[in-house]
Amino acid sequence: MNAWGVAAMGFTAALALPVSFAAFRGTLERFLALQLAASLATLVLVLLSFAFDQPSFIDLPLCAALLNLPAGLLIALVLERWL
Amino acid sequence: MKHIFILLLLAVAMLAAWLGSVGFVRLRAPADRLHCVTFVNAVCGAVILLATLLQDGATDRVGKILLIWLLMLISGALVSHATLRAMKWRAQAR
Repeated sequence: MNAWGVAAMGFTAALALPVSFAAFRGTLERFLALQLAASLATLVLVLLSFAFDQPSFIDLPLCAALLNLPAGLLIALVLERWL
Repeated sequence: MKHIFILLLLAVAMLAAWLGSVGFVRLRAPADRLHCVTFVNAVCGAVILLATLLQDGATDRVGKILLIWLLMLISGALVSHATLRAMKWRAQAR
């Protein structure tokens, strides 16, 4: 395993901490943990593209980053109005 | 030499990710926790972009990573604003 793979593993472990913490908290904390996890997961996908040396993998984090915006705004709207 | 710089940048990125995660757990108010998300978006994205630039040079892949970083910064700011707004409305409703 190269340095990019090790970094991807470190990022994945860092992702698990806030997610497991927020699982036992309120709705807002879960939403905040989702935002942090989405950012870290996007970066993990970038690192995996280099770890496996596959340039085509870079489209996955690009899609994830694009989809994070409407997803976050929609959940914030639902939290504001209905929950 | 280039390889050592890449290793250093990846270590800094991993440290920043762990700092953001531990800060998320340690900080008390939900509004404070938003700072951790912004910190991870800004610092980790920039450092990984630098590392990939050193590894690949100016390629299409690095251009897409720059786009990803800009998207993360812009969407992070917008979603943070929407989240704080939702927090305010929920606090007022109670």
